Amino acid sequence: MEEGRHANIRLDAVAATAPIECEVLVIGGGSTGVGVARDAAMRGLSTVLVERGDLATGTTGRFHGLLHSGGRYAVKDPQAARECIAENIVLRRIAADCIEDTGGLFVTTPIDDPGYADRFVAGCTDTGVPVEEIGVAEALRREPRLNRRITRALVVPDATIDAWKTVWTCARSAAEYGARILPYHEVTAVTRAGDQVTGVVARNQGGETVEIRAQVTVNASGAWAGLLAAMAGCRVQISPGKGIMLATNHRLVQTVVNRCDMPADGDILVPVRTVSVIGTTDTLVSDPDDWAVTRAEIDQMLQAGENLVPGFAGSRVLRLWGGVRPLFQDHAPQESRDVTRAHAVLDHRARDGVAGLLTITGGKFCTFRLMAQDAVDAVCAVLGTTRPCRTADEPLPDSEDRHYYVLGSRLAGRERTLLDEQVICECELVRRGRLTDEMARRPAPSLDDLRRAVRLGMGPCQGGFCMYRAAGILHQTKHLSAAEADRALLAFLEERWKGYYPLLHGDQLRQAWLDDWIFQGVLDAGHLPLRAPARRPDTETAQST
Amino acid sequence: MTAEQEFDFIRDSLDHCVKCTICETACPVAAVTPLFPGPKYVGPQAERFRGAGQSVDASLDYCSSCGICTLACPQGVHVAEINSRARAVMKQQHGMPLRDQLIARPPLQGKLGTPVAPVANFVLSNRLARLVAEKTLGIHRNAPVPKFAGRTFRSWARRQPAPASAGTRRVAYFHGCSTNYFEPGLGRKAVAVLAHNGCQVVLPRQGCCGLPLQSNGIFDAARGYVRRLVAGLAPYAKQGYTIVATSTSCGLMLKREAREILGVEDDDLRAVSSQTYDICEFLAGLAEAGELQTDFRPVPLTVTYHAPCQQQGHNIGKPALDLLALVPQLKVIELDRTCCGIAGTYGLKREKYDIAMQVGSGLFGDIRAARPDLAVCDSETCRWQITHGTGRTSVHPVEILHRAYGLG
Amino acid sequence: MTGQPRTAAADVVVLGGGMAGLVAAVRLAEAGLRVVTVAKGHGSLRLSPATIDILGYGPGRVDSPAQALPGFAEAHPGHPYAVVSPAAVAMSVQWLKEHVDTYSYVGDPSANMLLPTAIGVPRPSAVAPETMAGGDVRTAGPMAIAGLGVFKDFHPALAAENLQAATAAYGRPVQARPVLLDLPSAGQPDFGAVGLARRFEDAAFRSQVAAELRAAVHGEETIGMPAVLGMDQARSAWTELQQATGRPVFEIPTAVPPSVPGMRLASALHARLRRAGGRFVLGAEAVGPQLSNGTLTGVRISSAARVAPRMCRWVVLATGGLASGGIEVEVSGAASERALGLPVHGPGPGDAGFLPGYWDDHPMETAGLRVDSRLRPVGPGGEPVYPNVYAAGAVIGGARPWREKSGDGISLSTGYLAADAILEEAG
Repeated sequence: MEEGRHANIRLDAVAATAPIECEVLVIGGGSTGVGVARDAAMRGLSTVLVERGDLATGTTGRFHGLLHSGGRYAVKDPQAARECIAENIVLRRIAADCIEDTGGLFVTTPIDDPGYADRFVAGCTDTGVPVEEIGVAEALRREPRLNRRITRALVVPDATIDAWKTVWTCARSAAEYGARILPYHEVTAVTRAGDQVTGVVARNQGGETVEIRAQVTVNASGAWAGLLAAMAGCRVQISPGKGIMLATNHRLVQTVVNRCDMPADGDILVPVRTVSVIGTTDTLVSDPDDWAVTRAEIDQMLQAGENLVPGFAGSRVLRLWGGVRPLFQDHAPQESRDVTRAHAVLDHRARDGVAGLLTITGGKFCTFRLMAQDAVDAVCAVLGTTRPCRTADEPLPDSEDRHYYVLGSRLAGRERTLLDEQVICECELVRRGRLTDEMARRPAPSLDDLRRAVRLGMGPCQGGFCMYRAAGILHQTKHLSAAEADRALLAFLEERWKGYYPLLHGDQLRQAWLDDWIFQGVLDAGHLPLRAPARRPDTETAQST
Repeated sequence: MTAEQEFDFIRDSLDHCVKCTICETACPVAAVTPLFPGPKYVGPQAERFRGAGQSVDASLDYCSSCGICTLACPQGVHVAEINSRARAVMKQQHGMPLRDQLIARPPLQGKLGTPVAPVANFVLSNRLARLVAEKTLGIHRNAPVPKFAGRTFRSWARRQPAPASAGTRRVAYFHGCSTNYFEPGLGRKAVAVLAHNGCQVVLPRQGCCGLPLQSNGIFDAARGYVRRLVAGLAPYAKQGYTIVATSTSCGLMLKREAREILGVEDDDLRAVSSQTYDICEFLAGLAEAGELQTDFRPVPLTVTYHAPCQQQGHNIGKPALDLLALVPQLKVIELDRTCCGIAGTYGLKREKYDIAMQVGSGLFGDIRAARPDLAVCDSETCRWQITHGTGRTSVHPVEILHRAYGLG
Repeated sequence: MTGQPRTAAADVVVLGGGMAGLVAAVRLAEAGLRVVTVAKGHGSLRLSPATIDILGYGPGRVDSPAQALPGFAEAHPGHPYAVVSPAAVAMSVQWLKEHVDTYSYVGDPSANMLLPTAIGVPRPSAVAPETMAGGDVRTAGPMAIAGLGVFKDFHPALAAENLQAATAAYGRPVQARPVLLDLPSAGQPDFGAVGLARRFEDAAFRSQVAAELRAAVHGEETIGMPAVLGMDQARSAWTELQQATGRPVFEIPTAVPPSVPGMRLASALHARLRRAGGRFVLGAEAVGPQLSNGTLTGVRISSAARVAPRMCRWVVLATGGLASGGIEVEVSGAASERALGLPVHGPGPGDAGFLPGYWDDHPMETAGLRVDSRLRPVGPGGEPVYPNVYAAGAVIGGARPWREKSGDGISLSTGYLAADAILEEAG
């Protein structure tokens, strides 16, 4: 730990000269995979995790941040509701630092079935989800922006959870228990000896090949689980269900607000960190990497937001994104929202006659710990050992004191260092030390990785002010060469554009233009030397004098 | 619109912030002390971290509430208003010094001080007494405090015969506390200038507008003050009287701040707001319509003109310059400084006095360099600060017009 | 007309306090017209590097704007430069040089300098403050690019390395190496550009910087520094730093707002306006035309507590484009002109204003007003909407100023010409 608290996560960039041997290999660095790695490591199994990109960049990093109370499923899917409330209680115990205890409201808006609220209360009572009805006036006092035409308001223990922080903290804990966490290692082949899966071959960021040999391989690649299983010659039917989300510039509500009706599109508004996220949609897509957002989907979200918080459609949206849920089913796909949210552990020896490979899929973020527990129980069964799971009791690092995260904590932290330290990202109050710590533990951080890791550039200006600073600091501290820093900057600009161009208007358009003024106008980043982005202005001299 | 929704209108203006930092380049306080992290920081930026819990950022108390950030913002962010509201929450949660309670209530000071003016003035100018006040109350020993006039403007006005003016313009004069207790002469001159321009001037019952309370974060009491004031003025506004103010900051309270900062929203306030004019704004309007009396005599003086921040908050430019330009032989030097530092009661405070003096140093230097006969400025606390910082006599623009009209 | 009593309404209301508005206002006021400039806030000139970029890329790099402009105008018929002649551009540049008296501007439209940006790209600018011109890589020798540890908005190592690579690619390699000054005396760890510029007004601070520079810089090097060398006193700060180090010093504009050179230029133009008796109303917004029988007789202005007309004979509309909010895009994708409700030429609701690639030519970029040869905004039929309204600056559409490096040239020349047109009518 001499290099700081993250120092013992080994994020190796260099190919191992010899194959890495382990008992358990986890494929996938989302919440489930990292949860499995931590659980396995805590049970004393030698564990390696590979992830094709950065941790939590698939479905996990693309969800709305709602830690369900179970209320959402209380009527429709009682089993899911029971799992949710049980895990809600567990996560509050073990991951308090990743959770903001916002509470949740289910409100009957004018477009909702007025009879649903009673069924909702009954469902919550049956499934053990604590519920309490409050008066409309009290609900409006707590959340003044709510639609004044709501008729019922029910309080449940919803909360919000920071997915990136949760995954990184789990990874840290797993590493402390001896696991090797290898982001930017993309599986290129699943190796087999006869009917036995023996591990994988992965390619790292430098393009080098790494072989990992494991007694049991756990396919925790979520929406990509079908593709991974196929590499081992196995079959898993995943229906990728795309959901889109929009983040507003600041919090419009301080409580999770749900429509009190059967789950539908755009019926939750979640206060996460400094923003409110509205979600979501649910459409079956064929490719888990396809999360393109259409204008119609955006309009649908804006309208849905308007129903919860009048004026929503006029508020500033910073960014939009889509995530793809891993909906598991063994039958033909139906309506995506009707597919169960339950998870399943598949032993491919029984299903496909291929030993040494388990797939854990389905489920949702809130139950990731439980999914991991079930998966590692199955791993232990394969290995012929019984070791108890301890993840429900042992808090994650930084959550030992069980203090919830509070919104003002960064502001309070900044107040203390006002006269001592530079702030690099002004919107999200990222201090220089926090940034350089994060850089120090990564072999070649991209600006986008830093964005997720410390929320650099996640605020209103979307990196307009801090990305030049971060690129300069990364270069100055020799984390990146000048060519790499330039490429990182250009890649960031191109990636960011995808996150907001479909709905640029009003304030955010002015912001985007100011940002482009900085990068294109003043810095002339379009004419950086030696770099070739996909398309940029011609650098040839038009005329000679 | 309810007060809560109005609150949202102010808070939501943070959505317009593109982080351009123009407000911070204009902020007079951030320019002189690193203790204040600047309006963008404490305003639209920090506001995204507020709302869900405790007030955690005490640095915003260094904001002087001058309002220049809102004025400078090209995108329409109500920076100063967001800050003021956040400070009120802070003071509510963490308490506030007795000093702030006291200096925020001019009528209380006035009522206590006026009957015993000589004694009070002696105490206020006594170094030992001031030292005690600094130690016990935190009012800086050197801070500029006004002298009690002894006889209030209203008691003078009561003894005046009903004006015989056949004027057709009906004006309700909002004199404010400082004219009443400290500068009754300004009130007399303002009434004379208005009457000279055919105005029938009435004096509605009036108390404090609540501005000092507001700028000290004491919102509930401030709302009470401004509501009482508005209740007294509204009947006049509804009868078509123009409400003319000589205290530019108190006028701004009626025009905008009661609504935008305190969240007061009702018909009476709307009626009063839309009828309220700063006196120079009112007279310049007459001038623009060709209806101002221009029988000015030469005033062979050199004066500097400083438009205080609160005057700029009216968004009317500098009408005093247009008026003073009409006075023969008057040489007016327009100063290009934003703030004198005092910002109402800010510069009185022990911990902020030095900051306020540094803020004002540029203005003081410009005035001293210009060697004017008089330093003209629309706001009373700024005039006291200018005199404190330069030793020059400072007057309201209307006092120059009064002299040019030869009214006494 | 100067010195006449200002008892009547204004002759001209200028809407907008950026480069275009200030240039027009100063010209008109100096000619004796009664000018009131109304600005919602401080203009974006304060964010500008204050180089006068006329045409930098079209799309290939332009060596001589004067030579390139006619062809460029022909190829871009909807561009402001199709209305503004190269001669007018040259006149407006000359005018500006004569009207900034805090320091000199050097260069002219006949040739672009190539001035390093804060990330080390040699950027084409025709005219620049004298404090920056020494960085012109067409002629510069070896450079030491000096940053300050307390200043996060300038990274000398990245700038220097990129500058070497870029100048090599352009065929005239310039040696550049970074220097990072410690400056423990700065007193705080986190300066913005303006805070640092204010520190540079202090002679003691300057001499400490000079001492550190002397120790770090080699004999033959030119010193490049972020453009924070003083605010009002920039010329003396810059001159003194050159004397104290014995080396030529040039300023490199910083990219993260605000811009110190932009503030210097704004301050110089404001001082001119004050001296000429022009009035400036800050914090007020134009919300529509004041009409009398279809004739525009003033502008409706929103101030504290009310909306009221400002009567005038002419209006210069210089409220800026998409970045400043002069042109507003609604959630529907429709673009509108905010101050007077003039017709906007650009993508309509439902059209794709923006394309998926960051570097694509987005149709919305060129949204703005169309103007006639006298800079009067026109309707769909090409006829002026109001005979007495003139447009200047980024509110005029058709340009891609960020990419072309044309924004300052357009704002300066159209502000100059809008004033010209009014002065012609005023007689």
